[in-house]
Amino acid sequence: MKKCCSSFLRIVLSLQALLCFQGTIPSYGQAIDILLKGGHVIDPASNIDAPMDVAIVKDKIFRVAPDIPAENSAKVIDVRGMYVTPGLIDMHVHAFHGTDMGSYIADGWDALPPDGFTFRAGVTTVVDAGSAGWRNFRKFKEQTIDRSQTRILAFLNIVGSGMYGRFEEQDVNDMNPVMVAYMINRLFPGIIVGVKSAHYWGPDFTQVDRAVEAGRLANVPVMVDLGEHHPPLPIEELFMKHLRPGDIWTHTYANAPQDREVPVDENGKVKPFIFEAQKRGIIFDVGHGGGAFHWKQAIPSVQQGFIADVISSDLHTGSMNSGMKDMANLLSKFLNMGLPLQDVIKRATLNPAKAIKRTDLGTLGEGSVADIAVFSLREGSFGFLDVRGTKMQGTQKLEAELTIRSGKIVWDLNGIGSPAWDAMPSASK
Amino acid sequence: MKVTFTQVTEIKIQEAIFIMSEPAVKRTMKSNTPAYFRKAVPAFLFIFCLILPALSQQADILLKGGHVIDPKNGIDSQMDIEIAGGKIIRVAPDISSQDAKRTVDVKGLYVTPGLIDIHTHVFVGSGQGFADGFSSVSPDDFTFKAGITTVADAGTSGWRNFPVFRKQVIDRSQTRVLAFLNIAGNGMTGFPSEEDINDMDTRMTSLVAEQYPDIIVGIKIGHYRGNEWTPFDRASEAALIAGVPLLVECHLPFLPLEEILKRMRPGDIYTHSFCVASDRECLLDEKGKIKPFVAEAKKRGVRFDVGHGGGMFHFDVAIPALKQGLIPDSFGSDLHRSSMNSGMKNMLDIMSKYFNMGMTFEDIIFRATWNPAQSLRRDDLGHLSEGSVADIAVFSIRKGTFGFVDTGGTRLNGDRRIETELTIRGGKIVYDQNGISATGRIDSQGNRF
Repeated sequence: MKKCCSSFLRIVLSLQALLCFQGTIPSYGQAIDILLKGGHVIDPASNIDAPMDVAIVKDKIFRVAPDIPAENSAKVIDVRGMYVTPGLIDMHVHAFHGTDMGSYIADGWDALPPDGFTFRAGVTTVVDAGSAGWRNFRKFKEQTIDRSQTRILAFLNIVGSGMYGRFEEQDVNDMNPVMVAYMINRLFPGIIVGVKSAHYWGPDFTQVDRAVEAGRLANVPVMVDLGEHHPPLPIEELFMKHLRPGDIWTHTYANAPQDREVPVDENGKVKPFIFEAQKRGIIFDVGHGGGAFHWKQAIPSVQQGFIADVISSDLHTGSMNSGMKDMANLLSKFLNMGLPLQDVIKRATLNPAKAIKRTDLGTLGEGSVADIAVFSLREGSFGFLDVRGTKMQGTQKLEAELTIRSGKIVWDLNGIGSPAWDAMPSASK
Repeated sequence: MKVTFTQVTEIKIQEAIFIMSEPAVKRTMKSNTPAYFRKAVPAFLFIFCLILPALSQQADILLKGGHVIDPKNGIDSQMDIEIAGGKIIRVAPDISSQDAKRTVDVKGLYVTPGLIDIHTHVFVGSGQGFADGFSSVSPDDFTFKAGITTVADAGTSGWRNFPVFRKQVIDRSQTRVLAFLNIAGNGMTGFPSEEDINDMDTRMTSLVAEQYPDIIVGIKIGHYRGNEWTPFDRASEAALIAGVPLLVECHLPFLPLEEILKRMRPGDIYTHSFCVASDRECLLDEKGKIKPFVAEAKKRGVRFDVGHGGGMFHFDVAIPALKQGLIPDSFGSDLHRSSMNSGMKNMLDIMSKYFNMGMTFEDIIFRATWNPAQSLRRDDLGHLSEGSVADIAVFSIRKGTFGFVDTGGTRLNGDRRIETELTIRGGKIVYDQNGISATGRIDSQGNRF
């Protein structure tokens, strides 16, 4: 009897699963929690660029299809005229905020808790770019990662104390690939997605090599902020000999040739080996920051077809109020440089997800976590600043209307998910 | 009032010009004035020559062509503003841009004093909760993009941990951070520790307030779940001793509102004014009418702050209240971690709410600048007088279809939104939304012009 029951149940369940899987009819009695209706969906991971509705059940994306009926939905949000995309992934931030007065970024004031910047720009996942090392990562996790609504992943700094101070970051004896790999593989494989090499001014590629060794041991990519070297180190050698395909070069469009070799030469030409490097699989990351994005590098690069694979902010105290501002502003810069919207969205969703080997994110695939952004594309006259204070005039600007993180509305700029105040029973009665 | 160097030089120069351009007067002076004064004239002219370069002092920034709204000085017209050395040196029509190192074209925009948010929680730290914790936020993350240059922390710290707050946040922020001191010695440590009546020390609180007169602008009574008046009275007394206002953040469920308002002095501030919450009495009765004792308190000079927060602002209180003339004296945001992404967003969004509720733009600016400055008794702030610190905001008014959300999750439709274009703090550009202060220009093809 018991057996009979359970096999019957199994048949029903599998039928139901089949129906769900086919996505032709909503599953039996399935109530939709939120239905985003009438928007234009851009999901590069699923190759969708069309008017579609998006149905959310609990914390998951249940269906993406045209004309999903509204009857079974607890909440229907009209997003006509807007773009619905996966929640953005900002692959380069500094979020290890804290109160250690001796430190600048690791547990320090120059880093900041991300929630105040992410949702209002459509970002649902950030990747901390090596603020913490293996010695202080647990503190970072307890202090910021576990308390934030934004999903925080991290590159672990090859330096044990992370970004504590510029001098501490030079300590080659504190760059231990084995410890870094342990931390990633044994302790926090779900959070730590790579290794960071940064701010080194030694005469050679020692720090990069250690980071790559850690990356090899842990099977994760390495992100390199080459730091300052006098004379500058040859980046062709870095891309072709030291880094592996899949490793990441950040601050792509920075222009400080005296400290670091740049992709665009004095004549405004992208150096040929840059294209070779990209072909080889080196991932180029924007990492805008307060000092690492110059029109002088970015515009010729985009024009000549050298486009950073990933658009990221390098959010920290020194960049938050500068020309950077937030990811929506940053994506708008690329739109106004001539990239199509679909391409821009791809470089802040699918591409970073692939770069950090987390293709479960940055997609609206059915069954994936409901991290969603809704943008309006504002037309008008807007100015965009680079870090030198040079302005590019533009006509388009992305504005984050609605952000959903794990099925929960975490940002609603214009209350499109709210009922009118005078249509509700009075709160004061 | 302090007379600044600029003012002194101006006075002298005016005298000198007067003397030189009136030979007749000079002659008369020669014959009729005492010898010591005649001897002083060449010396004076010599000094004049020395200070001449100061006259033609180059402005660091000239804001040109904007519509200036400066309620304190009764200005509501097109004016230019010159900034030098962190100060406003001149507000006048048609100032020549010849002498300015940097001219910012603000035509079509509104230029106002930097906004003042009198209700924030910015004692951010690595602990949990508000005091020295994660529930507070760093002010600079939110202020400048909303045109705010001064915030007051609403009693997140008490006398015991104020020095930590100061070192950790106040001294490191670009935003000017003022503070109400909580009557609870360690500030907002959460329930139940912040309820410890033995740690509500009138004398220590007033002593610390007096120790930091340039930062501490008031005393706060916030959370207390008992039915005795001791905490309230101690806070009120500490405020009286220190000569500062009392801020009543009314999480005082067992104290009747009528009596609370009665115990408040003129100039004391009531916050979270326009909400329905389980731990307080609403200012309106069941019919939506302002309770008589509320109107009485308002008349007596008790100030009412919005204190929006994540749960303390409801349109169905705020809108009837506004219609009946209970107008907020300030738009305190109650910025903290759980309000920052809610219907609140920032103080500018609250101002846009009132704009769409029918308040005039000029009145809104008044209640976001000079009026809160007076609430904090900081006459040096919230205006654009010549010689005052150059804390300035530049706004545009965007027309369109917008929605605004209260903490009950209901929406008010609107057709305008105030947006920040530029924020200047202490003469330094700290935020520029569209690059209007840009030093160079480039088009999307890479051509500089």
